[in-house]
Amino acid sequence: METLKSALDFSDFPRLDLVVAGSLAILFLIFPVFPHSSFAMATMIQFLMFSLYGMGWNTIGGYGGQVDLGKAQYVGIGAYTTTVMLVRWDIPFWFSMPVGVCFAVLWSFVLGYPLFRLKGHYFAIATIATSLVLKDLFEVWDFVGAARGLEISPIKFPPPDFLRLIFKEDVYYYDVILGFFFVGILYMNWFRKSRLGFQLRAIKDNEEVARSLGINVHWAKIKTYAIATAFVSVVGSFHACYIKNIEPEDTMSLDISILIALMAMLGGAGSLWGPIIGAGILIPLKSYLKEWLGATAGLIGIDLILYALIIMVISAFEPRGIWGIVQKVRRRRQ
Amino acid sequence: MEILLSALVSGLLLGLVLALVALGLTIIFGVMDIVNFAHGEFLMVGMYTGLLTAQGLGIDPLLTLPVAGAVGFLLGIVCYFGFIKFLLRGPMVAQLLGTFGLMLFLRNLALLIFGSEDRALHHGLLVGKSFDIGMGVIVSATKLAAAGLSVAAFVAVWLFMNRTRIGKALTATALNRSAARYMGIPTERMNALAWGAGGASVTIAGALIVNFWSVNPFIGLLFTMIAFAIVALGGFGSVPGAFFAGLVVGLIMEIPGFWDFFMFTFNADWMAKVPMTSFKYMWVYLAYFVIMVVRPRGLFGWKH
Repeated sequence: METLKSALDFSDFPRLDLVVAGSLAILFLIFPVFPHSSFAMATMIQFLMFSLYGMGWNTIGGYGGQVDLGKAQYVGIGAYTTTVMLVRWDIPFWFSMPVGVCFAVLWSFVLGYPLFRLKGHYFAIATIATSLVLKDLFEVWDFVGAARGLEISPIKFPPPDFLRLIFKEDVYYYDVILGFFFVGILYMNWFRKSRLGFQLRAIKDNEEVARSLGINVHWAKIKTYAIATAFVSVVGSFHACYIKNIEPEDTMSLDISILIALMAMLGGAGSLWGPIIGAGILIPLKSYLKEWLGATAGLIGIDLILYALIIMVISAFEPRGIWGIVQKVRRRRQ
Repeated sequence: MEILLSALVSGLLLGLVLALVALGLTIIFGVMDIVNFAHGEFLMVGMYTGLLTAQGLGIDPLLTLPVAGAVGFLLGIVCYFGFIKFLLRGPMVAQLLGTFGLMLFLRNLALLIFGSEDRALHHGLLVGKSFDIGMGVIVSATKLAAAGLSVAAFVAVWLFMNRTRIGKALTATALNRSAARYMGIPTERMNALAWGAGGASVTIAGALIVNFWSVNPFIGLLFTMIAFAIVALGGFGSVPGAFFAGLVVGLIMEIPGFWDFFMFTFNADWMAKVPMTSFKYMWVYLAYFVIMVVRPRGLFGWKH
């Protein structure tokens, strides 16, 4: 009860934030009612998925300051658990998703224990390495379809099927992921005020001081890593049902890991709204640039060039992200 | 026995070239504590430079090395003054993602200019030639030349770092930045020099590799990861470490060859069923992970 109250309590934000956030939430809720193209709908779903990924990353990467560039492996674990269980044993999404989370969290404990002995660059590169190892394993593992991947056939599982999360129209997927999105925000709102959240910020500021205050630094990091993993794995499971065709290359590649970290960083790591702002800017930009410049003008790669330039400018000139700019402006006004 | 020997020889030769790839990364890291994700992309630039110069001017690929070196040096300097300088002020997250942005930029620029198809050298003094070095081991001439030149480059860099005035200044900056500045060493220029030297050594490695490896815009990441593994094993910032670790990683990448040897020796049928060649690069990543966890300092590293 206390937890729920804390999760619903946004009162420490300025009123302007709450008004903007509230009106955006209403906009998201009524978005399907407005006339929209299927492209806009797909972009919205991508946006919600990546904000959830970003929120997960934000726990360990933003509040904890541990740059994790291997989140894609947990997207893969979630997606593959759901798909394999559905295709092989006909186990619906709502049962396989928690199982996928369990697998991902277990794996995160196995990896997290040695990983968190490392710091800084060493940690970041080691997370990449673990993610790539898992991807290489999945690419030769026949049980999960090797490099071809697995397909959820719409003939075998006729839509609409809420239990298995197989729909024809994107609107239903939108509703489901929007639900996850709101739950995610409430969880993050609780998390940032929880004991673990404060411990993490202490660790980020100064690890030695945190340890001297009696915080079990190693264990706090591992716990947070597991939370981040659970977030990513849930969305991974959703991704499998939404895309219906998964392969190691597009669920577990390094690009996904980096994109996840980028969402949170661009928006402002270590703040509640950061990942959402980041995803809200990067995802539409990415899909529309790809549509206009890549497909229409026939310039392959130019969308990613612009994308890379944005990353470079942000990281060089405003490393605290867009939320950092907002706060700077606010502080100047006061 | 021949299989074992040829696996060993080809692993060592590859290792020598890979060591040169990692050399640039270790210099840059040693001097300024920044991990360059675009390292493999620098290599790709070197490969394209070698390929296009050789094809455009109709000269032998081995003669393109100075051109590649000059391009790499310029690229390094431009990257430093245009971009990396600003990154250094920010936190580590920004540095990681910033060089990742550089990587994405270079990769997609190459994709835009050259297209996504594989390109390879077909003509050249050594391309396609090979000879028997005894005991049934056949070595391709390009790999042998590449390995030899890589050793020469290593010796040159080692002499530069330890015997010349400017190289000693670079080493001093790596060891202790603020002390170096008090001694009157222009550390800012040393940073730029580290990027120039790092860029030049990796593009030279690229111009060597293109003799026996086809190039496409996506090749960078693989080499970035290999270079990370080598640098981690050898110790971040250590030049001799990179050399020996390169040999070890070359042998690790040759594990499928050793696997074949054991398969034939023991006549083990189950070993044939394991798709070892698909795991070729996995061992490198795994090696990186294990090294980092067991001995984060690496073999010769002084930094941690």
